[in-house]
Amino acid sequence: MQLAAEQITTFLLSISIMLFLAKLLGELFSKFNQPAIIGEILAGILLGPTVFGMISPESFQWLFPQHGEVKIALDSFTTVAVILLLLISGLEVDLSVVLSQGKKAISTSFMGLVVPFILGFGVSYFFPQLMGIGGDSSKFVFALFMGTALSISALPVIAKTLMDLNIFKTRIGFIIIAAAMLNDLFGWLIFSIILGLMGTNKHGFSFEQTLVFTITFVLFVLSIGKKIINKIIPWIQTKISFPGGILNFILILGFLGAAFTEFIGIHAIFGAFIVGIAIGDSVHLKENTRQIIHQFVSNIFAPLFFVSIGLRVNFIANFDIVIVLTILILAFAGKVIGCGFGAYWSGLNKNESLVVGFGMNSRGAMEIILGILALQAGLIHEEVFVGLVIMALFTSISSAPLMSYFLKEKDKTKFKNLVKEKFVIFSNESEKEKVISQLVEAASVELKINKENILNEVMKRENILPTGIANYLAVPHAKIKIKEPFIGIAINKNGINFEASDGLPSKIIVLLLTPENNNELQLQLLAEIVLKFKEKDKVEKLLMYEERSEFCEELKKVSL
Amino acid sequence: MFAKIGLAITFSPTGKALLKEAVRLQKLFDSQLVLIHVGEKNSETEKLLDETIENAGIYKNQLETIWEQGDPANTIINCSKDAKIDLLVAGALEKESLVKYYRDSISRKIMRELQTSSLILKNPSEQPVSFKKFCVSADYSPQCEKTISAAFHFALKENAEEFVIIKNFYVPGITLTIQEGGSPKEIDSMIEQLKNEEEEKMKLFVNELNLQGLDIKIVCIYGKEGWEDSNYARTNASDIFAVTSPEKKMRFLDRLFPHEIEYSFETLPTNLLIIK
Repeated sequence: MQLAAEQITTFLLSISIMLFLAKLLGELFSKFNQPAIIGEILAGILLGPTVFGMISPESFQWLFPQHGEVKIALDSFTTVAVILLLLISGLEVDLSVVLSQGKKAISTSFMGLVVPFILGFGVSYFFPQLMGIGGDSSKFVFALFMGTALSISALPVIAKTLMDLNIFKTRIGFIIIAAAMLNDLFGWLIFSIILGLMGTNKHGFSFEQTLVFTITFVLFVLSIGKKIINKIIPWIQTKISFPGGILNFILILGFLGAAFTEFIGIHAIFGAFIVGIAIGDSVHLKENTRQIIHQFVSNIFAPLFFVSIGLRVNFIANFDIVIVLTILILAFAGKVIGCGFGAYWSGLNKNESLVVGFGMNSRGAMEIILGILALQAGLIHEEVFVGLVIMALFTSISSAPLMSYFLKEKDKTKFKNLVKEKFVIFSNESEKEKVISQLVEAASVELKINKENILNEVMKRENILPTGIANYLAVPHAKIKIKEPFIGIAINKNGINFEASDGLPSKIIVLLLTPENNNELQLQLLAEIVLKFKEKDKVEKLLMYEERSEFCEELKKVSL
Repeated sequence: MFAKIGLAITFSPTGKALLKEAVRLQKLFDSQLVLIHVGEKNSETEKLLDETIENAGIYKNQLETIWEQGDPANTIINCSKDAKIDLLVAGALEKESLVKYYRDSISRKIMRELQTSSLILKNPSEQPVSFKKFCVSADYSPQCEKTISAAFHFALKENAEEFVIIKNFYVPGITLTIQEGGSPKEIDSMIEQLKNEEEEKMKLFVNELNLQGLDIKIVCIYGKEGWEDSNYARTNASDIFAVTSPEKKMRFLDRLFPHEIEYSFETLPTNLLIIK
């Protein structure tokens, strides 16, 4: 069978239109700091039966035929797209990060899998009418799927949220990303097993055989396989043209893995995902190679896939408010409670645990992929699929603002949140110890710690190495027995000699007290202070203020 | 600094070289030397050991010898603990075979489980020379303060020519942001910003240690933690790569998905100084 010239024209035209509208709306949503995927799905809804098919059914049928060769060609294209999406997601799943984060990530991830799974399974099994299904025999597999669908999270959305909130490289950021990585691995594994349970295998393997093949495949690829890949990558990068050689290698392995898992009766995407993890684990894979393949897939294949979703389903006809609300409530409750408790039990405080819970709540593209595969496999009907898509989008949009709200509440590790008007003093002292003593006095009252003890620690540190920096700044500091850091500022317009590197007298003296055994917090705050005062003209401007309130306001405005 | 130096000794050409290296270190630190030999003690093995000691140019009465039988790695680990060794010197192949690596070889087990500091020599020489290029993998932990100080004082004793402190940092999953509309430019700028912050923090961290007598170079590298710093030590041809001993016991899963110090255990970048 071969496509006729007219069919090729239709196929190419439909792809061009899909790509154009997806990019246009994706960019538009990105401009408003919303996930591009919303624009891409909206493009599909506009081009699909929901809008275009409704306005002009004949034109819709001509451009996006629902049967025949063009439809098969389009479906093949989107299958390749989804395989590539999972391959590149796997590239960024770094299981060593989970190990280095230890208990916190494992506990968060475990609870983030178990609680949503139990909720999803329980409600779908015992109250199937809420999901719009009758009590037939497929109820068990459907409930298993719903449990899995609610357990999965979306690494890309989570990563972008962490980047936008500037908490990627913080303790919470690391816990969230590590937990999400582990979550995804197990989520996809469970989903593959469900597909095995459904008996979709066309090669005559029993469920037990499929399970054994799956586990063997995972163990082989993630042990010996990844060692071999790690040996081959440097050879390819030096002997074959860049980036063609390495991109070619990644795609070949990804498709081979996908073909194998499809053959053994679980979906092709799982093979691509596992192979992606093995390739991404290589220490030789360059950062720009990762970026190139991500751009290639994210700008061409991913939009096509997300547009194709809108082409398949009528979102208005299949919108069921009960199903949508049930899925939304279960999704929020499962992840926020599960991950929140997991994080809390591993030692995070209430606010931090809520940040982790809302962070892990993003479902995004992964949920939609899972949903479309379940729809194709006949596991769910269109109303549930629409509910899953809406849930995926809503959880992704709401994640950042909710995290941001709880982050703002109590972040006492940032300089700007620690500067308080009542701890800013104007001093006329001419000796180092006296001005430090004035600041320590304020600290002593606030922290309810003996003044002499604090002063001794600060002076002990000061005597080892003077803390004059440059640009009229000095930062006397010490680590003492406190739970949260303290900052006090003295403004001394005459200046005091703190032996700064530029020889200038110190006119702004920042007393920094941080908890014992937390080197990193002390260094982070010290670095933040130094970077704040790196421009001399801005420091001179600060020194012109006569009022504490004006000084504090201006100080908070100075960017790093 | 290292008042008691231990040496896990065998009767092989490497064993002789290791003994000479240990004797040089004993003189450098003016410390006591303890030989640990795992194997049967009889007249033949005693004679062999005496010859090895004599060839190394020291007198038998200048050192203590511990003979023990049992599983080599566990025996060495336990003897080092019981004898209160401050620094155990041992030899190791740069890389083990895949099967041996996953099963845990003697030298790798010592590196992973020893409860004292150790110096693992990749290519011990019968004509040992002083170490001139030092490289330290650093983070901001109190344990790392100890590692940097120990390596620095070692370097001072050796009159080293280079002392580099490396801060390796990594943001896992950052490339995924491209899928959500992020751009490579945004990623690069974030990495650059983090690099500046890390450099500033590391400078302050080192300042706090108040180390005098050698120029200290600070290098911040983005990439897989533990791999990039170890690779720097390798490509920079450092003589010593100092690391902080892992807080928790490294297990099979850590070997399956190497991270941090495990990269250096897997393939020795150079001589490895592990500070407990």
